Amino acid sequence: MENNFEKSTRIAILSSFTLNGIEEIFKVKCAEKKINCVTYLGGYNQYNQEILNSESKLYQFNPDIAFLILDTRSLLGDLWYSPYSLDAKQRKEFIEKKFEEIKNLIQTFMSISKSKLIISNFPIPTKSNYGIFETKSKFGFQKMIATLNEYLQDFISNLDPVYLFDMNGFVTRHGENNVFDPKQFLFGDIKISLDFIPHLTNDLIGYVIATLGLAKRCIVLDLDNTLWGGIVGEDGFDEIKLGSGPPGNAFVEFQKYLLGLYDRGILLAINSKNNPDDALEVIEKHPDMILRKKYFACMKINWNDKVSNMKEISEELNFGLENFVFIDDDPINREFMKSSLPQVLTVDLTPDPSKHVKILEEMNDFNVLKITYEDSKRGLMYSQQKERKDFEKLSSNLQDFLKNMELKVTIKKADNFTIPRISQLILKTNQFNLTTKRYSLEDIQKFSQDDNMLIGCAQVEDKFGDNGIAGAFIVQKNGTKEWILDTFLLSCRVMGREIEKSILGYIVKTAKDSGVEKIKANFIPTQKNKPIENFLPDCGFKKQDNSWIILLNETFQIPDFITVEEK
Amino acid sequence: MSEKLYGIIAKVMDIPINEINDNSSPETIPSWDSFNSYILLDELETEFKTEFTIDEVTETKNVSDIKKHLKNHGIILYD
Repeated sequence: MENNFEKSTRIAILSSFTLNGIEEIFKVKCAEKKINCVTYLGGYNQYNQEILNSESKLYQFNPDIAFLILDTRSLLGDLWYSPYSLDAKQRKEFIEKKFEEIKNLIQTFMSISKSKLIISNFPIPTKSNYGIFETKSKFGFQKMIATLNEYLQDFISNLDPVYLFDMNGFVTRHGENNVFDPKQFLFGDIKISLDFIPHLTNDLIGYVIATLGLAKRCIVLDLDNTLWGGIVGEDGFDEIKLGSGPPGNAFVEFQKYLLGLYDRGILLAINSKNNPDDALEVIEKHPDMILRKKYFACMKINWNDKVSNMKEISEELNFGLENFVFIDDDPINREFMKSSLPQVLTVDLTPDPSKHVKILEEMNDFNVLKITYEDSKRGLMYSQQKERKDFEKLSSNLQDFLKNMELKVTIKKADNFTIPRISQLILKTNQFNLTTKRYSLEDIQKFSQDDNMLIGCAQVEDKFGDNGIAGAFIVQKNGTKEWILDTFLLSCRVMGREIEKSILGYIVKTAKDSGVEKIKANFIPTQKNKPIENFLPDCGFKKQDNSWIILLNETFQIPDFITVEEK
Repeated sequence: MSEKLYGIIAKVMDIPINEINDNSSPETIPSWDSFNSYILLDELETEFKTEFTIDEVTETKNVSDIKKHLKNHGIILYD
């Protein structure tokens, strides 16, 4: 097989019951996403020993991501069968004790390993030996487990390397009677029946995709029979299926679901073969259309082939093809896309529109570990971007354009509000990135406590709106003589407006104020960071050995059309 | 028809079909561990559309026992 892995990761799986087979499924499913995964499956019910012993095989394996999958029976022991042998107060104490044990496991793991930890919550059984009286019992059997789940969720909500996997939700979704097979349980302590391990793995891979930053960023949609039923060019505006009754309601439902994804930062675009006028009339004027023009970051409605359109969308939005999902009802278009642009994730829609939402729901390709303010506003920012482009076309030259943009840069120090976004930029930015060094959220948090480091970011606003935090930097203060520019980057969204010079200007000024004589920077070229190639010499840095140096006794010119503020 | 049974065992245990006979057992096939014996059971139940009792599962010592249980479920393997 051709080795075309794009990413590599080490995955450890610890469990309180038999989970054989999960490693193999992980490998296959990761390979499908071009992730090379090395796995480690802990010994049967050995998770306590493995986590508490810093010399264990788990820590020797040195995972990037560790899954800790526990189940309610193992948790409760004999209490599973007779929870009411304890009174309500004792039951509460029991749960508190169990929570302390799990908390201790999590804290120990965090103190020894840098890995992410994904811990499952506990499925709440639907049966109780109190029968219908269960719901009348104070702190009853089901409440015990629900309470533990709440404790867990509250505890990990502020621990950045730790995430909760909703196993209770998993069992609910697939059904307790399906997921748990008594014979498999009695025969091999298999608590998730073999048929459901692939489903479980699929859900867990959502965390791998998020950790590796492989989440898809834009859904590119066909129109006829995808966003509405029928073909507008043939059936006409009044005859397409879109509305409150079936089958038109299936398309409304699908559009509403897509709007929900848009609201959390997934961009939408159109790639469709239609007369633009016919299609735009539906998009703007059809009473039941949910996704109006303003929700699309890019629209290619023409008679060109869909592969060329897709390439243009990728260029216009400045994202690599691997960031796109393509949705089209026509199998021929899908095959053409799959064979021409395999980097694009082409989704197989069924001809039945009532299944469309479920197909998207089951995809784990949109998962991110944090949803930032910038994410939730991304769609809006892109429509403002379109306005900026139109304005740029109107302006006679670049200088005029920039002067009239009313650019404002606000420099902010790394704090609880800005660190998630700084980390996101550091993990994702490829083009205008001097060193492409990647640091995790936890790294940035640690650096921000260090007096020897200066970490900040830049929020960029203009007359069309707020671009959010779009630049970040890390400076190592190497004493007072020489500071080192460890990381310097700018989101492609605001490239080409000399924002970078005003950010560097801030760093230069801060260094001067501290009595520093020079700043040293490195440029580490990659396949993607050509746009930043000339940044250092353009700003007056001089090559010295393998680095670039700027002496601070000379004046540093910052662009006069940008207002800079510090916060 | 034994061939179908042997084919399933060969697939689960990952060994050539001609290495399987009535006396094949966890003692003669190294990959026949407790987990694979469960996988085998699951495959047999799916392929022959039947369900074994827990007694049958625990009493199974070799291929010949599997044939006996299949026969008890009305599944006759003609050689």
